[in-house]
Amino acid sequence: MTAVRTALVTGAASGLGALAARRLAAAGWDVAAADLDADGLAATARRSPNTHVRVCDVADAEAVNALVSEVGAVHRVVHAAAVGPMVPALEQPLPDVEHVLRTDFLGTVHVVRATLPGMLERGRGELVLFSSLAALLPVPKTSAYAAAKAAVNAYAEAVAAEHAGSGVVIRCVCPRQVDTPGFRAAASADPAATGRMRGVPPGLVLDAVDRSLAARPAHDLYVLPDPLTRAVARARRWLPGPTARLVGRVTLSR
Amino acid sequence: MPPDAASDAAPDAAPDAIPEVAPAPAAHLIQGDRVTLPVEIRDAAVASAMFPIPAAAAQAVIAYSGLEVARPLAGRAICSLAFVRYADGDLGPYHEFAVAFLVKGTPRIGAFIHWLPVNQAFTLEAGRAIWGFPKEMADIHMDLAARTKRCLVRVDGRTAIEMHVRPGFPVPSGRGVPSVDAYTSMNGVTRRTPWTVSPSGVRMRLGGGTYLRLGDHPVAHELRALGLDHARALSAATVDRLRMTFQEAVEARP
Repeated sequence: MTAVRTALVTGAASGLGALAARRLAAAGWDVAAADLDADGLAATARRSPNTHVRVCDVADAEAVNALVSEVGAVHRVVHAAAVGPMVPALEQPLPDVEHVLRTDFLGTVHVVRATLPGMLERGRGELVLFSSLAALLPVPKTSAYAAAKAAVNAYAEAVAAEHAGSGVVIRCVCPRQVDTPGFRAAASADPAATGRMRGVPPGLVLDAVDRSLAARPAHDLYVLPDPLTRAVARARRWLPGPTARLVGRVTLSR
Repeated sequence: MPPDAASDAAPDAAPDAIPEVAPAPAAHLIQGDRVTLPVEIRDAAVASAMFPIPAAAAQAVIAYSGLEVARPLAGRAICSLAFVRYADGDLGPYHEFAVAFLVKGTPRIGAFIHWLPVNQAFTLEAGRAIWGFPKEMADIHMDLAARTKRCLVRVDGRTAIEMHVRPGFPVPSGRGVPSVDAYTSMNGVTRRTPWTVSPSGVRMRLGGGTYLRLGDHPVAHELRALGLDHARALSAATVDRLRMTFQEAVEARP
C-alpha cells in the first residue's frame, strides 16, 4: 500500500463538500470531514472507515485551529463550507451580512491560516478554495455572498503570489450555480433570482478541480469549471457593461 | 407454493425457473453494521471494455463455477473488464476493478465475476459475506476526471492490471433498466445475484480505444493466457453516473 494521504474537507455534510469527501475516501485518502451539520456529516461518512467527522464552524478561528491540530499533516484541503442566502441588499439585516462575511470570507482566512504553514513547512500541499462566479459577476440578491467571495478571490490571489514556487498549489474555484441541496432550495424558493438555471452537476466541478491539480501549472490559480462559467467570465472581462445588464435581466425577478 | 413459504424454501426445493421476485428482505451484519437488501448504489462512475477471447480457454478458467461461457461471437467468449468508483452507496465509498465473463444459463445477461479487487475493508467483507463476490484488497488508483479514464491495480505493491479507456461517442440513456445476473463462486458454492443497472452520461466506442497491460498476479497471468495483454477491445464504454441495486444471492445449480 502506498502512504495514505490526509485531506481536510469543509462543508462536507452536503453538496460539493460531501461529494469531494466521498471521492477522496473512495480513492483511499484519510478524510477529515468538517461541517456544522452533524447528521449530514454522519451520512457522508457512512460505512467509510477512513472518513473522520468533526463538527466545526469555520467562522470560529479557534475551532478551525483546534480541528487542524487534531487532524495533523494535511496534504489537501477542500474548503467548500459557505453560506449564500439570497436577499436584496437593503433588506438583509446587518447581522446576516456579518454572518455571511464571517463564514465565507473569514472562514477561508481561518482555514488558510491553519493549514498553509504546515504545507509550506513540508514544501507541498494542495489548497482548494471554493469561491463562485458571483465573485466575478455579482447578481441581484447576492450582495453579501458575492462580496465575501470577491474577498476570497482577492485573498487567494495575494496569498498565492506570496507563496509562488513554494511547492504548495492553491486553487480558487469559481463555478456558476452548482446543483447542490443549497442551490435547489434557493432555486425553488426564488426561481427568477437563480435565472431559472439548472445547476452544473457537482461531479463536473470536482472533475475540473482534479484536472487542474493534475495538469495545470501551480500558478494557475483560478478554476472555471464548465463552458458556461468560462463564457460568462470572459464576457464579463471584455464586455463588462452589456454582460452585467444581460445577467441582471436574467436573474432579476419581476 | 404460498408466497411466504418461498423465502423459507430450501434452495434444492426451488423450481428451475428463475424467480421473478427476490427473496424477502434480508439483513447481514457487516463490521457491526446491519446491511439490508437490496443494496443500493446511488452514484458510481465506470469505465469498461469487452474483449473477445478463445471460448475453450475461457471455459477452463471458470470451470470451478460449473457455469458455461456464452459464445456470442462465432464461437468466441467475452471477457469484460471494468473499473468503478463508488461515491455514494450502501457499501460506502471505494474503488473496484472487475474481471467478468459472460455466461449462459439465464434469460438475462449473465456475468460471472471472476475477480473483484477493492480498496476498502467494509465493502470487502460485505461483498464476500453477502454475495460471495471474489473481493480482494488492492491499491486501486483511478483518474476519472480526464478524458481518457485510467486505472492501475496493485496488489502487495506489484502491478496486477493497468487499463485506460478513451472517450467514445455519447449514447442516449435508455429508459429501460437492464437486468443482469451476477454469478459468483466461492468455496464451491455458485450463486446468482439479480442486479439492475441504470446508467446516465454513457459514451461508447466500438473496436479499440483501450489500453490494457497485465502485470504480476495470478489473475493477470490467467488473462495473459487468454491473449488479453495489450489486446484490442471489442467495445468500450464510460458511464458518468450509474445507479445499481443488488438483491440477495440465490444458490445457482447449473
